[in-house]
Formats: sequence, structure tokens, C-alpha cells
Amino acid sequence: MLAGKGFGKVINMAGGIKGWNSETAVGPEDLGLSLFTGHESLEEVLVIAYSLEKGLFDFYISMTEIITDTKVRQLFNQLSTIEIKHQERVLAEYNDLKKNHITREEFEQQPAATMMEGGLTTEEYLALYKPDLDSIRDVVSLAMGIEGQALDLYSRAADRASNKEVKNSLLKIADEERAHLRQLGALLD
Amino acid sequence: MRWKQFFTPVQSMDGLETRKFLEQLSGDDYNLIDVRQPGEYKDGHLPGAKLIPLGDLADRARELDPDKPTVVY
Repeated sequence: MLAGKGFGKVINMAGGIKGWNSETAVGPEDLGLSLFTGHESLEEVLVIAYSLEKGLFDFYISMTEIITDTKVRQLFNQLSTIEIKHQERVLAEYNDLKKNHITREEFEQQPAATMMEGGLTTEEYLALYKPDLDSIRDVVSLAMGIEGQALDLYSRAADRASNKEVKNSLLKIADEERAHLRQLGALLD
Repeated sequence: MRWKQFFTPVQSMDGLETRKFLEQLSGDDYNLIDVRQPGEYKDGHLPGAKLIPLGDLADRARELDPDKPTVVY
């Protein structure tokens, strides 16, 4: 059908979703999109993205406080460090945009979203993936699930963004999540 | 008669090949379309996939860029 409508390269994924065998995102099309109506300014989008990254950082840190296994705790620390880098990247873009220099502390004074990356809460992620928190493999899988969900949310938000600049920024963040997923996948392999 | 559909082969890739193909590209460089029903999409979909149920595809194809590679499942 698409080939007949002028699409030059059409690829059918054989086996469909069952053949994918990799991370998936869950939820309806509008999951988490109460945060991204499509009419936010770039500045507003960056504040939301930062708060989502911060939510995940806080989650990983809270895990380091309850995990007893040293290696798993180190892994959560490593994951939280990656989230700090994401936050710094978003903050740098915000400062470039505002031609300003505000610190992390000042930035975090702004109203924040209560969800984590990907549009679900901590409890929802734990209920969804039911990880064995003593297993490195389970923790990496949990992190991949969250990153996949985040990639999905940013992609859907980009799709509905009415402003080109906002769309590009959301796509850039989605690409960063994709890169993060690759890093986590390498850990599993 | 739209002859082009007879000369544009639809390529097939398994899940692993699809993953490797998508990993080479930025998210803005391809269309990734889930043509199943909303309930199936809700239960699990490829991150970043756009839901266009097969029955709506003919009407909604204009939402997609035909110049980009389009992965469908």
C-alpha cells in the first residue's frame, strides 16, 4: 500500500512485535503527553525534560540507599551519573537559549513534573518490570525499560510539537535516549 | 493504475536486522509505523513507533515523509 503511495523504501519487520526481542514501550499513544501538549515553548520543554531526568536520577539514588549488594549498588550509581550528564546537557541548551547562566540549583527551583522519564512514576515502573533488585541483569533490564519508555515519550512529543525548534530539540533528546539504550544493551551482552 | 507499487519491492527484515538498521539512523531519519490495533500497541510497541492501524493507513499516509525509509510491523 505504501509503495503505491510513493514511499521509496518500505521495510516489513518479519515476525512483528514477537520478532523484535528487545525493549518495548507500553501504554496508549497519549501516555505522558499531559506534559507535552505540543504547544509548549522550547524553554518550557527543556524544563519538563530536565525534571523527568531528575526524577530518574532521584530514583536511582534512592535505590543505592536500599540495595545491599555492592555491585548492584555501583551499577545504580553509574546509572545516576549518566542521568546527571543528561541533565547538564539539557541545562546547557536552556542557558544557550536564554543567553544566561543559571546553576543546577536555581534551575531546580522551577516547578517540576512528578513523573519520571518516560511518563510513569517510580511505583509504576517497579510494578511493571518487577525487577529482582539483587540481580544486575534485572536492574539493567529495568533501566532499559525506562529508557525505552523515555525514547517513546520524547518521540511522541516531537510528533505533536507544532514548533520546528521544539520538535528538533525533542528529537535530539530522543536520540540521546536511544544512545543510552545502546550502552545499556552492551552491558547486558 | 499505480504502476509504482509493482516496482517498489518491500524489503523484509527480522527483529535483529531491524534493530541494527534503526540504530544506524537518527529518529528523524525514518518512519517507524505500528499498524496493529490500539490495544495491541498499548500492551507493547517499539519505542518511538507511530500508531497507524492498518485500516487507517491509506488515509493517514500523508502524515509520513515518503522519502524516508519506512519500517512497518
